[in-house]
Amino acid sequence: MLVAGVDVGSTQTKAVIMSDRHEMLGHGLCPTGAKLDEAGQTAFNLALAETPYSETNVAFVVGTGYGRFRIQFGDAQVTEISCHGRGAVHLFPNTRSVLDIGGQDTKAIKVGTDGQVIDFNMNDKCAAGTGRFLGAASDALEMPLGELGPLAQTAKNPVKMTTTCTVFAESEILGWLAKGRRIEDVVMGVHVAIASRSMSLLRRAGIEPEVTFTGGVTRNSAMVELISEMAGVQVNTSEESHYCGAIGAALYALDQVRTGAFAERGAPA
Amino acid sequence: MKEHRVAIRPPLERAGDTRGESRRLMDRWWTELDAAAEEDSLVANVFVMGSLAEILNTFDIPMSFPEIASLQTAVKGKAMDYLLAAEDAGYSPDICGYVKVDVGLHLTGRQHPLGRYPKPGMVVATNMCNTYIKWSEIWERQYECPVFVLDLPGWRGTGFAYDMGSETFKNDVKFVEGQLRELIALCEEVTGKTFDIDKLREILDNVNRMSELYRAILATNKHRPAPFNALTEGINYMGIANILRGREDGVRFMETALAELDERIDKGVGAVSPEQFRLLLVGTACYTNFRDFVGLFEQWNGVFVASEYMSYAGGGIDRGVHYDLSRPVESLAEQILITAQPSMSGIFFSHEWQANVVRDYAIDGIAYHGVKSCRTTSAGLPDAREWLMRNEDIPGLFIQSDLVDSRLWAEAQLKNRVDAFFEALQSRRVQVGA
Repeated sequence: MLVAGVDVGSTQTKAVIMSDRHEMLGHGLCPTGAKLDEAGQTAFNLALAETPYSETNVAFVVGTGYGRFRIQFGDAQVTEISCHGRGAVHLFPNTRSVLDIGGQDTKAIKVGTDGQVIDFNMNDKCAAGTGRFLGAASDALEMPLGELGPLAQTAKNPVKMTTTCTVFAESEILGWLAKGRRIEDVVMGVHVAIASRSMSLLRRAGIEPEVTFTGGVTRNSAMVELISEMAGVQVNTSEESHYCGAIGAALYALDQVRTGAFAERGAPA
Repeated sequence: MKEHRVAIRPPLERAGDTRGESRRLMDRWWTELDAAAEEDSLVANVFVMGSLAEILNTFDIPMSFPEIASLQTAVKGKAMDYLLAAEDAGYSPDICGYVKVDVGLHLTGRQHPLGRYPKPGMVVATNMCNTYIKWSEIWERQYECPVFVLDLPGWRGTGFAYDMGSETFKNDVKFVEGQLRELIALCEEVTGKTFDIDKLREILDNVNRMSELYRAILATNKHRPAPFNALTEGINYMGIANILRGREDGVRFMETALAELDERIDKGVGAVSPEQFRLLLVGTACYTNFRDFVGLFEQWNGVFVASEYMSYAGGGIDRGVHYDLSRPVESLAEQILITAQPSMSGIFFSHEWQANVVRDYAIDGIAYHGVKSCRTTSAGLPDAREWLMRNEDIPGLFIQSDLVDSRLWAEAQLKNRVDAFFEALQSRRVQVGA
């Protein structure tokens, strides 16, 4: 028996196919774009394609992320806050604090032993200091997103960014470059700005080890290093961290199939 | 055809009485304002926190509440027209939305969606909100009308409670009473009438009765299921408590409301059915998307059984006003001091009031709604939230939008936070086996 979790985020859509023994059988990833329902279906199909099964073998699908209500084939919806909490504890069972830096949201979540959310703090509705800020830096520097982290780690004298506003990011980056600062120092300044802002959310929720870092920005090695340094503990990350929301959604789907608990615990229709 | 189900409830004889009466009284209020605008007759601009309606009603001076008028433009979907007019005139996007709507109204010919809007012939303000004073100065410059600002001393002790036997309190009362006598003199001057202390006694007696009824209304929500939503219906009770403070028809309105709520309790009818979560709202309402805001919570069968807004924006009437009719002006000064304290010192002590409400009303969670354009009501909310979570083990949700500025309403992000809050509440309930 299989279940699926589909996380339609603001920039990327992730999907996982999970067995009833918690085996991760397939992963799917695609840009979200404007057509949220199509993105959900594409990610789901990509994940399914990694398995020998078809859609009819998937007993239950839970959608999460901002586009969760647009997943036409989904059976229920859970917020990504609950899903990241649940997914993080599944990946790292001793997790008590979760930091998710997403495309337009940063979430600091305090969780209990089975992944239930005890408290959470999020950035204001402005996307300052979220993953989108790295995207703005990537655009301004005409450099692939994946190269920013390794480049930042070569910095010797990082600049101090005065803004985490994604709108003003470009002008400030260009301003530093115009002053003759080295590109790696500017890039590291961008990372420090994001990490500092994220850490203030995490501190407000309470830093309780173990800390698990989730979301797309976990693929950025410089950010993982900075968050660990600022939190004072080595944060947990893995290859699966990017899919943490979808994993949490799949676990909620599994709850439903196993116990029928979703009727009581899920979001209203 | 899509299936539609309706909630089956026991028939209620009094259903709609309060709503109908509230509309009638509010329409009448607007008719009076409209007539005053037409005739250019005397109207006093006053505020919900400290209207001093007791004295103004003694002189039959009609009152305009610009805060209420501003929020009504948002409910009618017209606030942006006025906000933009004010911003075009140089008012910053960061300042109080109520002020900017009002400024926009005055700059664009004082045509409110509910009627013509009179210019103030006088202004009565207090220092309970720092913006009140600057707002009053705008009218003063614009219309050259007299402005009276009641200077209320802040409490210098701990907690909301005044030590009424202390020298400090006695001196504060003298200080306030002296100012009230100055206001009486001003009212005599602008109306040409002589102060009638017996009329003030009647009005104070009405406020005493209104206060008792208002408190009884609030207390009905200690029942499970709660008979009314402290945000949606609470706004009606609060609005009438302000515009008819001290008037006989205000007393009758409160009696009507209480009777309707008592009937709901008798028949077991709740504001939401089935009632799943009992909530306290701290902060103000969001009028740009009022129904949407409430819907985010009702979707989870959550009901606001209490609201801090019904307290401080109700002119302190919830605290229990007990005027001593044998010494009207002194007693008015005393009661203003006592009932103003929660608004004056809310940033320091509101968490203690919230803890009491949590216990008295069996609250499951608290929603803190920060208002972008009002730091007075929003400062301290995250700290209160943390205190309640730590000391009372009550989950708290922090969200932000605005009173009247639709540019600050982000539904997807609000829904995400509200949904996650309820998921956590449900998970918590499953954990404790409730």
